Amino acid sequence: MTPALAISGLTLRYGDIVAVSDLDLEIQPGQTVALLGPNGAGKSTIVNAVLGLLPAAAGTVEILGRRPPDAVRAGSVGAMLQHGGLPSEARVGEVVDLVRRSFPTAWPLDDLIVTAGIDGLLGRPVEALSGGQRQRVLLALALAGAPPLLLLDEPTSAMDVGGRRAFWTTMRRLADRGHTVVFATHHLEEADAVADRVVVITGGRVVADGSAAQVKAGTVARTISFTAPAGARLDGLPAVTSSSHQGSTLTLTTADASTTLRALLADRASLPDLEVRGASLEDAVLSLVAAGRNGALR
Amino acid sequence: MNPLFAFQLRRVGRNRQYLLFTVLLPALFTIFFTKIFGGLASGPVEYQREAALYMVSMMAYGGLGAALGATIRISFDRASGWLRQLRVTPVPQSQVFAVDVAVGALLTLPSLVVVALVGRFVNDVQLGLGTWLALVGVLWAGSIAFVALGLLVGLALDERAAGGAIGFVGVVLAALGGLLAPVEVFPDSMRTLAHAMPSYWYAQLGRDVAAGGAPSATAVLALAAFTAGFAALAVVVARRRPLYAVAG
Repeated sequence: MTPALAISGLTLRYGDIVAVSDLDLEIQPGQTVALLGPNGAGKSTIVNAVLGLLPAAAGTVEILGRRPPDAVRAGSVGAMLQHGGLPSEARVGEVVDLVRRSFPTAWPLDDLIVTAGIDGLLGRPVEALSGGQRQRVLLALALAGAPPLLLLDEPTSAMDVGGRRAFWTTMRRLADRGHTVVFATHHLEEADAVADRVVVITGGRVVADGSAAQVKAGTVARTISFTAPAGARLDGLPAVTSSSHQGSTLTLTTADASTTLRALLADRASLPDLEVRGASLEDAVLSLVAAGRNGALR
Repeated sequence: MNPLFAFQLRRVGRNRQYLLFTVLLPALFTIFFTKIFGGLASGPVEYQREAALYMVSMMAYGGLGAALGATIRISFDRASGWLRQLRVTPVPQSQVFAVDVAVGALLTLPSLVVVALVGRFVNDVQLGLGTWLALVGVLWAGSIAFVALGLLVGLALDERAAGGAIGFVGVVLAALGGLLAPVEVFPDSMRTLAHAMPSYWYAQLGRDVAAGGAPSATAVLALAAFTAGFAALAVVVARRRPLYAVAG
């Protein structure tokens, strides 16, 4: 089967800065994939390159076997962009209609309204939309041509908690209908709730790829927390990938809890309120990101 | 009708400021200037000459303002991210440009026709039917120079500067090109400057036709050269900063 999205050896540069280096990623039709990573990880850069908005310094991108400009022209892809927008002096219904008509096949209007959650907004001037409503209209534009591949770049960034949850339901529904959905996010909760595959990206490279459960299990990260005075010297502890101080509680994320604990106990008589916990997805990603930065993970 | 063309036309048509400045204002100026200067005329022949001259100037003013106003807006569509959004639909980029050119060209027509009607029925300008049609036709065709200029300005400037430029560029071109006051009353140095303005040659097309002749070759060539120059520069700017680029 032709992959919905095939990225191979993709390198992207902004001037001298390498934003994405030698990225390989293949996504099969029907998958819902989260591109997860901190701000500046290269997620938007990848989305833009897939859409042909950013030229590749090296490598190839194919959407259902077509190069990006051809795929966009053929209506194979719909997108919600980070810097996409709506035209002034237009009504929502006119914009939706224009975009629907530009695609070879249009998503039936009644169903589009329900799916994107833009009921009652069609007669509104674009200027009168709230942030969340705007996002939903932009989603409607991404869906308007019923494209096989949907690329959503931080789709819930302007939404409140309720809006975000409703949006997740929509995204799952899209996957149920056989659409391939690729969305960039820095919300772990979102990736966990929606995606059947999580690709963790940091520094423009893939540092983990699998189900949310696999990503969590794939890292042996644990957190160690105990009460320690502020400014306690903890430099050079083995296996520690990150540390944080909250009040008097110090939390260390470690790739190897026993090694770290042994070193800690060698230094001091006791570790008050000691806790060792398995990693949440958030911890897993933080440790992956930290390891990626240190170059420890390939 | 092409859906994007209809869509763009509806958007501009909704802008009351646009209609005010490109149709109503030139029409009112036509009456105003003709009442003042026509009143000073020594006889009916001179009145006809003055009235026709101001009508042509105001047709040119309205026409160039309408062409600029319709096209400089491309800057707003870039700033809002709409052009970027449109870039990820099957609508080709070339169509986005073509539609803006067509909308700019079409929207010039109401200004020209309304000012001509005011000239004929309010100021009693007498021209043959063929001359009326030729006058509107030649000024309509010539407005392409300002469609090109508007696209250039809209592509080159950011949203804020472009907003100011819509009014500013039109007024400067009108004033320096002798549309508000005729170049005959200009001092020599300013007259030379007027001859370097596309607006002067644009109005000259109309003056030549209103006088019963064909547009002079000088005026046609000068305006064609301006059009080619503006279009070429617009292409250079568009290459350096594609429509879908958000900033920089």
